[in-house]
Amino acid sequence: DLNYFHSQTTFVVDEITTVIKEAVESTIGNSSYQHSKINQWMSGIVESSLSQLTKLGKPFKYIVTCIILQKNGAGLHTASSCFWDNSTDGSCTVRWENKTIYCIVSVFGLAI
Amino acid sequence: FFGSDLEKFITSLNTYRMGPEPGCHFNASRTQQILQATLDRYLEGVCYSPDSCSQLCQMLADLVLSKLKDVNPPRYKLVCQVVVGQSGKQGISVASRSLMNPNTDNYTSAVFQNHSLFAVALVHGMYFE
Repeated sequence: DLNYFHSQTTFVVDEITTVIKEAVESTIGNSSYQHSKINQWMSGIVESSLSQLTKLGKPFKYIVTCIILQKNGAGLHTASSCFWDNSTDGSCTVRWENKTIYCIVSVFGLAI
Repeated sequence: FFGSDLEKFITSLNTYRMGPEPGCHFNASRTQQILQATLDRYLEGVCYSPDSCSQLCQMLADLVLSKLKDVNPPRYKLVCQVVVGQSGKQGISVASRSLMNPNTDNYTSAVFQNHSLFAVALVHGMYFE
């Protein structure tokens, strides 16, 4: 009972990771990098992630950030720092790639 | 539940406040100015190098956060993300969407680019109800 309460009010990384992976797979699964489709893909990934996250029904505000990078040999770094409550809030980052695209999705969940 | 479990579940006392006080909202324009100024000052003339850039990225994120903590109104949580990349011939796109209360919460972003690198900084301010 206590565990259930705990899982409903804190950020559970594994659950979120699964949700995000599905969202990315379903949007850009087997595609190759195409400049014209970027906007569509970005909206698709971010919106389907957010809607799946809301379906979890937890008392959280979410921020979903998505970076799509063409595989061309250039380097990329991303860092984040947050001012929040460590016991209830959390973040997770999902890295996904195929032959021509790198996709990095970060989810931040803040308890309300 | 008893003892330490109870402590874990009491997060803050009830203030009966419905929203932030007028004038105490997350100031998006001021945050944007601070973000842009920080990026310009610290990245001017810096060359991309794989080993130093990961530390640079984390340092920038922490630096921006410490500057924003000074101007942050009470009861606001901050999430700051910095992306630093090499200016190659690749295409890159950064997007963000959030589930928040538009009356109290907001976000800003800033971009910096020079001949060898580019940087994108995103800050979200969320009211803690």
